[in-house]
Amino acid sequence: MNVAAFALLATTIAIYVVLDGYDLGVATVAPLVARGAAQRAAAMESIGPFWNGNEVWLIAAGGLLFALFPRAYASAFSGFYLPFTVVLWLLMFRGISLELRNHLASDLWRGFWDTAFTGASALLAVLFGVALGNLVRGLPLGANGYFLGRFAFLLNPYALGVGIFALLALAQHGLAFLTLRTDGELAERSRVLLARLWWGVLLLYCATTLASLALRSGTAAEAPMRLAPMVVLSLLALGAVHWFTRIGKPGAAFAASSLFLASLVLAAAITMYPYLLPAFPAGSGGIDVTNAGTGALGTARTLALTLPGLAAVVTYSIFVLRRMRGGVKPTSAR
Amino acid sequence: MGSAVVADRIQFAFTVMFHYLFPIATIGLAPFIAWFAWRAARGDDEVARRASVFWTKIFAINFAVGVVTGIPMEFAFGTNWAPFSARAGAVIGQPLAMEGVYAFFLESVFLGIMLYGRHRVSPRLYAWSATLVGIGSWLSGFFIVATDAWMQHPVGYRMASDGSIRLVDISALLFSPFAWWQYAHVLVGALVAGSFIVAGVGAYYLLAERNIEDGRRYVRLGVLVALVASALVIFPTGDRNSADVTKYQPIKLAAMEGLFHSTNGAPLAIIGMPDTQRRELIDPVVVPNVLSFLAYGNFTANVKGLTEYADTLWPPVALTYYAYHVMVGLGTIFIAVAALAVLLLWRGRLTSFRPLLWVLMLAMPFPYIANEAGWVVSEVGRQPWVIYGVMRTADAASTNVAAGETIFTLIGFVGMYFLLGLLFMLLVLREIGLGPNVATHATQEAEV
Repeated sequence: MNVAAFALLATTIAIYVVLDGYDLGVATVAPLVARGAAQRAAAMESIGPFWNGNEVWLIAAGGLLFALFPRAYASAFSGFYLPFTVVLWLLMFRGISLELRNHLASDLWRGFWDTAFTGASALLAVLFGVALGNLVRGLPLGANGYFLGRFAFLLNPYALGVGIFALLALAQHGLAFLTLRTDGELAERSRVLLARLWWGVLLLYCATTLASLALRSGTAAEAPMRLAPMVVLSLLALGAVHWFTRIGKPGAAFAASSLFLASLVLAAAITMYPYLLPAFPAGSGGIDVTNAGTGALGTARTLALTLPGLAAVVTYSIFVLRRMRGGVKPTSAR
Repeated sequence: MGSAVVADRIQFAFTVMFHYLFPIATIGLAPFIAWFAWRAARGDDEVARRASVFWTKIFAINFAVGVVTGIPMEFAFGTNWAPFSARAGAVIGQPLAMEGVYAFFLESVFLGIMLYGRHRVSPRLYAWSATLVGIGSWLSGFFIVATDAWMQHPVGYRMASDGSIRLVDISALLFSPFAWWQYAHVLVGALVAGSFIVAGVGAYYLLAERNIEDGRRYVRLGVLVALVASALVIFPTGDRNSADVTKYQPIKLAAMEGLFHSTNGAPLAIIGMPDTQRRELIDPVVVPNVLSFLAYGNFTANVKGLTEYADTLWPPVALTYYAYHVMVGLGTIFIAVAALAVLLLWRGRLTSFRPLLWVLMLAMPFPYIANEAGWVVSEVGRQPWVIYGVMRTADAASTNVAAGETIFTLIGFVGMYFLLGLLFMLLVLREIGLGPNVATHATQEAEV
């Protein structure tokens, strides 16, 4: 039961990363690939209809964490108080920037908001990576299960490395999305940059994977074994991104990039299991699925109440996407 | 410690009250959009077709700001109220997770069809989408109110040996009569706001002598719904809520009414200022015996005053009292305005009687105030409890987060929400300025 609950949570977070990942990525790379007002507008409009809906998955993940593992929810968000509040502000600020840019036909105005949008989104990508890195590395949990995440502790080399990796991986995801959903010069420049950036992603993927294994190796001897299939999957997906970009199949490249991101989240989850918040240093226990949970009965009830709903969400989301296939044009004159 | 709780409370009050401005509009406007969309699907009702597109845009702006400000609420229980979440998460996490899964997605996915797929789907599917978006926003409200109602009147739970609260019976939580009457009151309250928005925008168009045909439709439909909804706010929903408060939270009732001393045949205070030092209502204007009747259906019944209880159990009396009186006073005015408007509508004079159109246009902000005031009564009035009779608010705040940190983030939220509020006004006023006709032209251009 706990495995199912943990898997459901990890899957929901993976879906959030894949979905919000591309709009964060597009925002990050937009100044690198979009030249001139028309292309910048095209890049922004490619994600305009979606970013808000993608963030609903973050709300779903938060709700599930709360219902399934209330102690982990309480400890994590109070412990990450300031960093998490900064994340919330950045999420709002990027939404504001994206919506405001279209309301004055002035290059200065648009340039300012585009830069703000890019800055906030890139910082978010790094912060999400830093958070994930710290989760894997472990947190300074007190006896009562609470902690206070000081920046001095959280901004360690390993977590920062994961942060930079997250930035590149989401940038790659955004480029794959732009290659798929835009056309002309913008799509072509995205494809070229994607092919180049890919090497950086590969390099950092290898580095962070090795660092993670070194970090956890002393504690969970079985972790490398559990992790092996995920590493193979990640590498295959990453290889596929490169291959499909080269042969000019942007849809498949985007799918491969999505799979790559999902496999990263799942690999992190497998490394951490059964802990939701491992203590630092590794091996000193932590908040796990049992002591954070609501008992077998409570967990079973939450799963029974939410799984049908999530299945319905996936079904009607696919239905709606099929109905709307073939590019999206806003009905309002933006 | 004390000041950390105060800072957490101020922050929660500020962020949740700002957030709630937007659900008021989405819950209140959703039925109108569905109505217009179905009218449009049935035939060549051009005004309804324009209206469904126009109001969907207003709805979408509200929804977007609602999502963005809702994310901090979803996590505030963890950031600022960690001990409460750890203790009660097994209960309240449940409806909150269901909100995300059953309501929020429904709203966001089908809103996507309405905003971006209108030319790809049939008018019937468009109308179904509008209906599903409406159901999503109403369901969302239900899960939130069910969560709050459990904190007001906990049912279906047991205490585990470690002090944590376990849910025994989810149906007791979801089908609690307390929750359903509270939910009904919240819904019709939002519907009052929605109908005054529709009527108010219509009144603006008539006064400005543009979009006349659309403006007439909005005013007519708006005032009809406003009359029904504002009547339902008072009876039966408001009445039933008062009965529940009388039964389960008598201290809140005493604070709402500014009743310090237990009284047989207690009077209803119309105005007056509560003085908690001298424990009396200053300069009151009262209607004798009416409070006893409203609370117990008996003009001479004994209503317990605040002094029956230790003052450590009192909520902030003045805030509860004023919020309640603002809510009730405005609710009464809404009925009067809506009734007058419907009377003029019946006489066929409404859309040409400019003074009332002015009133309708200027009335738009007030249902917001009444809705927010209602929540202040509900939430401030139940202090000092976060879970009524079970857990005190003072024990609920995160102990690992200092007051200074909360004040810092509060300042940040104030700044961010100021910016967000400006953006919201800019976007909404722009859409209203463009109006339903201009919007349609732009759409037709986009089609070509």
